[in-house]
Amino acid sequence: MAIATKGRAPNPRKPATAGRLRYRLDLHASPYLYIAPFFVLFAAFGLFPLAFTAWVSLHDWSLLSDEHVFVGAENYANLLTDGYFWNALVNTMSILALATVPQLLAALCLAHLLTFRLRGQTFFRMGMLLPNVASVVAVAVIFSQLFGRDFGLINWVLEALGAGRIDWQAGRASSHVAIAVMVAWKWTGYNTLIYLAAMQAVPREVYEAARLDGAGRLSQLFRVTVPMIRPTIVFTVIVSTIYGLQIFAEPQLFGGAGASGVTGGPSRQFQTLTLYLYEHGFNRGFEFGYASAVAWTMFAVIVVIALLNYLLVKRIRSSS
Amino acid sequence: MLKRNPFRTALAVGTAAALAAAGGACSSESEDDTVNLTVGLFGDFGFGPLYEEYMEANPGIVIEERIAEFADHHTNLTTHLATGSGAADIEAVEVGYISQYTAEPDRFHNLLDYGAGDLEDRWLDWKWQQGLATDGGAQIGLGTDVGGMAMCYRRDLFEAAGLPTERDEVSALWAESWEDYVEVGHDYVEATGGEYFFESSGNMFRAMVEQAEQGVYDRDDNIVVDSNPAVKESWDLTVEAVEAGMSNQLEAWTPEWNASFTEGTFATIICPAWMTTYIETNAPDAAGLWDIATVPGGAGNMGGSHLVLPAQGEHPEEAYEFIEWLTAPEQQLKVFEETGNFPSTPELYEDEAFTGMTAEYFNEAPVGEIFTDSAESVEPQYQGPLQGDVLSTIGAGLGRIEEGAQSPDEAWQQVLSDLESF
Amino acid sequence: MTSIPSARKRRAHLRLMRNRPGRLAYLTLVAVMFFSGFPLYYSLVVASKDNSALAQVPPPVLPGANLVENVGRVFDTVPFDFALLNSAIVSLSVTASVVFFSTLAGFAFAKLEFRASKALLVAVVATMMVPVQLGVIPLYMLMVELHLTDTLWAVVAPGLVNAFGVFFMTQYLRGAMPGDLIEAARMDGASTFRIFWQVVFPVARPAAVVLGVLTFLTAWNDYFWPLIVLSSPEKYTVQVALSSLSGGYVTDYSLVLTATMLATLPLLAVFALLGKYMIAGIMQGAVKG
Repeated sequence: MAIATKGRAPNPRKPATAGRLRYRLDLHASPYLYIAPFFVLFAAFGLFPLAFTAWVSLHDWSLLSDEHVFVGAENYANLLTDGYFWNALVNTMSILALATVPQLLAALCLAHLLTFRLRGQTFFRMGMLLPNVASVVAVAVIFSQLFGRDFGLINWVLEALGAGRIDWQAGRASSHVAIAVMVAWKWTGYNTLIYLAAMQAVPREVYEAARLDGAGRLSQLFRVTVPMIRPTIVFTVIVSTIYGLQIFAEPQLFGGAGASGVTGGPSRQFQTLTLYLYEHGFNRGFEFGYASAVAWTMFAVIVVIALLNYLLVKRIRSSS
Repeated sequence: MLKRNPFRTALAVGTAAALAAAGGACSSESEDDTVNLTVGLFGDFGFGPLYEEYMEANPGIVIEERIAEFADHHTNLTTHLATGSGAADIEAVEVGYISQYTAEPDRFHNLLDYGAGDLEDRWLDWKWQQGLATDGGAQIGLGTDVGGMAMCYRRDLFEAAGLPTERDEVSALWAESWEDYVEVGHDYVEATGGEYFFESSGNMFRAMVEQAEQGVYDRDDNIVVDSNPAVKESWDLTVEAVEAGMSNQLEAWTPEWNASFTEGTFATIICPAWMTTYIETNAPDAAGLWDIATVPGGAGNMGGSHLVLPAQGEHPEEAYEFIEWLTAPEQQLKVFEETGNFPSTPELYEDEAFTGMTAEYFNEAPVGEIFTDSAESVEPQYQGPLQGDVLSTIGAGLGRIEEGAQSPDEAWQQVLSDLESF
Repeated sequence: MTSIPSARKRRAHLRLMRNRPGRLAYLTLVAVMFFSGFPLYYSLVVASKDNSALAQVPPPVLPGANLVENVGRVFDTVPFDFALLNSAIVSLSVTASVVFFSTLAGFAFAKLEFRASKALLVAVVATMMVPVQLGVIPLYMLMVELHLTDTLWAVVAPGLVNAFGVFFMTQYLRGAMPGDLIEAARMDGASTFRIFWQVVFPVARPAAVVLGVLTFLTAWNDYFWPLIVLSSPEKYTVQVALSSLSGGYVTDYSLVLTATMLATLPLLAVFALLGKYMIAGIMQGAVKG
């Protein structure tokens, strides 16, 4: 009988006969018991909404009407032939790349910094969460002030430096950069804390050894820490990909309270997939069926991209 | 290694306590004879004192208000209408959303069944029509306020451009038509060496289209943007203004837009009654610089709301009686005095309190007269289910021209192709 | 590096180097703090002025004198009393449940062998991949069926577990939990649950604290779902109660930012009071193996 702990040779120890059954039961059943709460609660409150939207996506289904006509895959066909969907997909990928890569690298470096013995370390560590505490309204106001065309701080600096003003909203690239900055601002600290927690489990001795080999701080980070916390890095990459592809609040705030907040600018230059979903689901006659099809198509896209990223970060070997 | 761990204990106790507390807080409500009416609004409508007054006069009624932010309120309402549960007895609907709801009158109590038909004359005719079901067989909402339109302008900038500054003279400049307004814009841009004449083109286009006899829909709910000459004419005139550099290209409600009122980056802005409050609170330093003239064509409305009764509400009679009272002229007057929301009942427009009203911030402009004239002159125009989205789509086309992303022709073609998917 | 004393000396020197970060590190962190905290500070600035502060160019940097007045106005309009309690109940329940169940499931996925464990973990992660915006409608229908609308249960229930937490804990324990500790406990005859409770949980503490803080923040700031499912003002959470400040056509931002600032204060107070312990929790997890 194999022991249930990973990576170990079979345990030669046999428990007393009286407890043996219980022992085997414990060994084989308990893992299921431990993951059961998640699946039970998810089945209770998460599964129905998913199944329901999947069903709705096969219908011409407006939220306000009682007539729900079955249309099969028509919503999906319409979706895949709608240029605006592909436009939203490209925008989303571009913002994802611009926001996630620098953000995770910065988080890694910040977490590394925070492992040092610092004066005021509690302050610095808790301070990482300040962007998650700030209210959405304040954030929206401040970032539109920063990226404002006529009176924005960034343009003021650019002009003072002799560069021209940028109409951040109007351009595709410039709007993506602005949104990526908002995203990175909000989530860098969050990821920093996640890395920081993982770094605590790296035994000091490993660093000592690396140092004796003459590794500097930065090379310690990339040669020792990164391989050691690989599972957590995999986690952040996958979760950032998943949430990044569903990015919604930032482009909406960036577009303002008017129609631009939904279409992502007059040319749809920064409309993301979720904004596209929202445009159809909660505007435009509340096309719940079509929006559900968007949601499930997004699911497929996210699976593919998350998988690609997973294969990519899997190449970080645990210590070379 | 296996010693007690305070962290674990705290967690266990915390879980138990929190779950127990959550359970305790969920005790069910008790039933009694009183009728509870809930009112769902976006923002404060200034109804507070009126609830008190009504509850005092009607002891069996208890009124409770729920307020959410503008967009959230309407999404929330739509969710509750779609699921058939959770809506308030009385819900406010802004005019930008009303035609989506009149297209599905079954979701609401038909107020004609409760006697609203007898009161039709209480409201401006177009206000009444906005709440009528598409087939005309049902009235879903009673009007609260309207946004009679005027044209706010900067006296100092007009003077610098060599234009008249007195409001009657300014009104006379474009009294006839929007063409005259654009003419003045050409003069202004020329005289100032390229300063902006107005804030953004979208609102100008809207105001123009709404003055036309037929808008973006015909009565059979077909979108007629490509075939209605009035729409294309409005578009062309707006494009002319944009190409002449008159538009400041500001997105409404952004900090940039806010700042522009104080900075005076543009000379005119279309000004419904509630906008004047906005300018006043956001640009207190600009007092006396702004003034108010009439809007080109003399008529227009922007904003305003209705109170509707979702069909899922269980007390339609009591709810109807209450909103019938709440939207009566006497109450609208009190709301106006409290919040400045402009009444939708023409009876009040005869009232001295209105005709004599002036705005100190705007050089004592006779706003009462300007706004009432403008609201009364609006001709009812049929509005289709996706009215707001159609106008936004055209607005986006104008935005693409402003941003330099497309030529006017390309932008128009894209508007037409976008509308095909509606 | 043959002589022991020289190696020890060098090690001591290196430790010193490691523990004392340079000025650049402090400069970086101070800059990060500045950018992270600025919106909060700016809320205070606008909250202490009137609405026109937003329209000023350049924007104001110093607080004004209207704070007390604005706070008074907020307390007049927003029913904060119940709301704070409700938010505390919701956030604590959700946090406790998420941390406990995530650690439990994470332990199973990371350290126990069972059939289909990989597929099940993939299923967990996949549940995160469907956009949630449309879920509110069927979820609301479900709550109607369960007669849970307008109760705090409706807010708490969907948050009791989340895939994020399970995945996070799994990945963390994969890297942090030495297998031989579990082995040793098993040798001692400990049941799996006893191992979880006494061996795994202490090791999981840094991640559990981080997950707890993040979950608490998310639950505290959650707005749209509570708004839809709660209708009686005495059931409102803080974020829903705040919405009663929205203007109709015109929003008074100084008031809104005062209110959001007030809603943030309890969070900041918790951080200030418990921050040291939380950080200690994060730092103590290091396995001294």
